[in-house]
Amino acid sequence: MNLTTLHAKVLPSLLGGTSRHPMPGEVIHSSSPSSDGTLEMLSVMGQALRFERPSKPESFIVEPEIKDGRKIIADGLRRPLIRLLTSKNATEHPARALARAFDRLRLRPHPFDLPLIDAFVRSNAEKLGPIAQHWADRQKPEAETQSYFDPELLDESNWMQAALSQRVAYLETRRRDDANAARALVESTWAQEEADARFRLLQVFQTGLSMSDQQFLSTLEKDRAPRVRALAARFLSRLGAGIENPALGACLERIKHSQSGLLRKRTSLQIELPANVKDQAASRWIFQTFADVSFGELAGAFKVTEKELIEAAAKDEPLLLALTLVATNERRLDLLELVVAKLPNAWERIFEAGLDTLGAMTGSERRRWEEIVVHPYRKDAPTTYSLWDWLHRITDAEAPASVMEIALHAKMLTKVPEHERGSGPWVEMMAAICPASQRPELREQLNQFEQSQSVNPLALLDILDGMENDRTHV
Amino acid sequence: MSFTFERIEGLAPDQASLAAARKLLKPSYWPTLAEGEGLAWGECQGSGATPYRVAINEADAGYKCTCPSRKFPCKHALALMWMRADRSAAFSAATVPDWVKDWLSRRRGTSNSASKTDDEATPKTKPSIRLTEMPEAGTDADPKAEQRAAAARERNRLEREAAVLEGLEDLDTWLSDQVQHGMANFVAQTAQVCRTIAQRLVDAKASGLAGRLDALPTRLFTLPGPVRPSAAIRELGQVHLISQAYRRTSELPELLAADARQAVGWSVTREALLNDSEAMRVNAQWRVFAVLSEAQPDRLRRVETWLWRQSGADGMPQCAVLIDFVPISTGAAVGGYLVGDQIEAELSFYRSTIPLRAQIKTLKRGAEQTSEPLTLPDERLSSSYAKYEHALAQLPWLGTIPLSFRAASVRRNGEQFYLYDDESGLSLPMHTSQANHASPLASLDRIDGIGLWNGYEFTLAWAETQLGRWIRS
Repeated sequence: MNLTTLHAKVLPSLLGGTSRHPMPGEVIHSSSPSSDGTLEMLSVMGQALRFERPSKPESFIVEPEIKDGRKIIADGLRRPLIRLLTSKNATEHPARALARAFDRLRLRPHPFDLPLIDAFVRSNAEKLGPIAQHWADRQKPEAETQSYFDPELLDESNWMQAALSQRVAYLETRRRDDANAARALVESTWAQEEADARFRLLQVFQTGLSMSDQQFLSTLEKDRAPRVRALAARFLSRLGAGIENPALGACLERIKHSQSGLLRKRTSLQIELPANVKDQAASRWIFQTFADVSFGELAGAFKVTEKELIEAAAKDEPLLLALTLVATNERRLDLLELVVAKLPNAWERIFEAGLDTLGAMTGSERRRWEEIVVHPYRKDAPTTYSLWDWLHRITDAEAPASVMEIALHAKMLTKVPEHERGSGPWVEMMAAICPASQRPELREQLNQFEQSQSVNPLALLDILDGMENDRTHV
Repeated sequence: MSFTFERIEGLAPDQASLAAARKLLKPSYWPTLAEGEGLAWGECQGSGATPYRVAINEADAGYKCTCPSRKFPCKHALALMWMRADRSAAFSAATVPDWVKDWLSRRRGTSNSASKTDDEATPKTKPSIRLTEMPEAGTDADPKAEQRAAAARERNRLEREAAVLEGLEDLDTWLSDQVQHGMANFVAQTAQVCRTIAQRLVDAKASGLAGRLDALPTRLFTLPGPVRPSAAIRELGQVHLISQAYRRTSELPELLAADARQAVGWSVTREALLNDSEAMRVNAQWRVFAVLSEAQPDRLRRVETWLWRQSGADGMPQCAVLIDFVPISTGAAVGGYLVGDQIEAELSFYRSTIPLRAQIKTLKRGAEQTSEPLTLPDERLSSSYAKYEHALAQLPWLGTIPLSFRAASVRRNGEQFYLYDDESGLSLPMHTSQANHASPLASLDRIDGIGLWNGYEFTLAWAETQLGRWIRS
């Protein structure tokens, strides 16, 4: 009996049941008189199937070839990295610091480790290189996936195919070099962009905003997304070419204008909060009300310069907070510094207000912004975890050396209440924001902690050191 | 072997145990810390008046603690390993105490001289394995008592033989029923019908067949739906073959008869195997290339440590598997060895046509992690597969077997990954649980490696690639 016979005559009977499909008598070979032979045929068929080689699929998927110019992280760092990122106790701070380091040092995780650190890769794909992005998008339908580009390889011909953050970064650079060419790029793809992309791309116009942008901005007054319309209106208003910003009217309604001084009259401005806004909600109300106005509009409304506006608000903390938020929105760090000089607790007030993004600020702008809001606390930095945590989240950058110095010299880690210190986030956050130059000092402080608390932050510092050394020795 | 943090992490049952062990790293918790002959031991002050006694064996990461914890290793053993790893505490050199020797003497494959009792130094000559299948009796100087015990053993054996044969008759009836109703019907109600016959076979003391049938539903449900009826034919066909072979052991070659008896459920104790002078022994360097852990329906976890022979003469088994069973409740998911460990040991193989399962007879050098590649033969997947087919012809109910390969590639068709040999066109479907982990390999042109083939799916265990080593996790 050959395999063909078995398949044709025995298999159907075994599959369907011999009671309904009896085996043909000529194929049954019984090993003993007491047996009807069906079980023997079961074994023969079973063995025949076991000897059949697995069938080859008709075709295999051709995996895309993705170019990634980044260097793979050193072998010695892979296990510590996986251990840290998959530790149940680890907070999100180490992951954030590691993603930044990958991005800054142009390193990438080992491809074999991607499945093991899947959550980290999906959260930080844009900072980990094209191969990691491809991995993070692997379960998306093909139509939803982007092309995967090394940011350094982006140019005018392919920039629209990259991930949004890469496009924003590319456009930012182009705006600095050639604002008109950058605008032309945006105009060419504008109709196909989604609302979020339109808003983020438009934010970039803050860099190098000029009258030549007016025509394009005017076309956005009828954009489908309200926030895009509002942002375009703000830019037009700054150019002195738009209709009056409706948000400005709402702000001005709440600002009380008065004159003070005997010999020399000075303008004095003060916010009058609506009666239904309670004290604890004041900061949030200010944040929402002043979100869509510019420094120039406010100064123009009171016929003063921007610096005079700050002076006029000097005695009103709520208005100073409003100006802090407006300066932050506009990336006007020069003005922010002047405002914070009069509002030393700006950090806490901005946190209360609920600011959750620094918009299109560049890395260096974010660090400078952090310096400005933290420096007034030089002598008495707050030891509230939520404040530092927010600072790290909103800047998504390691702390400037001067800020870290404040934290280290104040020996903040030892001042933090025991119940907070023991929970781990504090020490991990300090390690995550610590610049390379100050890691030895932080290590000294961490060594005073119990090993259970210091193991993750010390591991993070070791990995970051390793990544930097690895990159240096390329 | 020296402990490393990676090894300790690999052994820890969970992160909480590691965190708890960290807290015990202060020397003040340890009134006694000592070392000697590759062992370290200490006393850890717990909440009770008497400190817990903890001992570890550096050769194979063995451990013992007197604490009542149901986690293995417990936090005390982990802490002791940790202190050895980071050398944070001073261990005084000392003679191995009796309680450590006692523990060591009950362990498998120990290398330490401290563990060698007089009995082990001069191995007892034992009869062949068929006669040592029954549990050993204690040494009794009284010849009459010994005769009575021997007679009782023989009576028990005969009773069991009879019970097994009765069970096999029931099995035949059950198999005939399944064939009458058809495999499509069998697959639809496999859990229920397999449970019933498995219980009957347990009663008939045919635990091997019972376990095979008890695990069958799970095995079938891991396969794609359309394949299940034909897989059921394969599996039930093997069950019938084992049953028939068991009834005819006298007509079979000795090794195949031993395979049949083991498959039915006659187990050979570790002691009997190690003392069986006729058992195949292979002295070589072995490399751990896979550690598999699987929870069984009987609440035991089966831990398989797969070894690849790195040295020694041809003609000897190239692979071996050490099988341990640990209670699931302990949380322990691995044996003492980690993938990549290299040991030098004499292994004693259970008698089989295709010898794979073994016990460590003597451990000559403890586990050490090394970055050296496996010494894989220069053969492609198709050659390796042909050897599998040859082995299958010799042992028809052959289970999982290692396949090594060179110049293969991982390819994908939909969600299914395959190990593909482009020269022969052979493509083995990879285990579905590996789809995620193995997918980065799909972008590589060629890989060399080794994995485990169970007749349905290939579990890739180890691969050498242009991007470095890939290891199953």
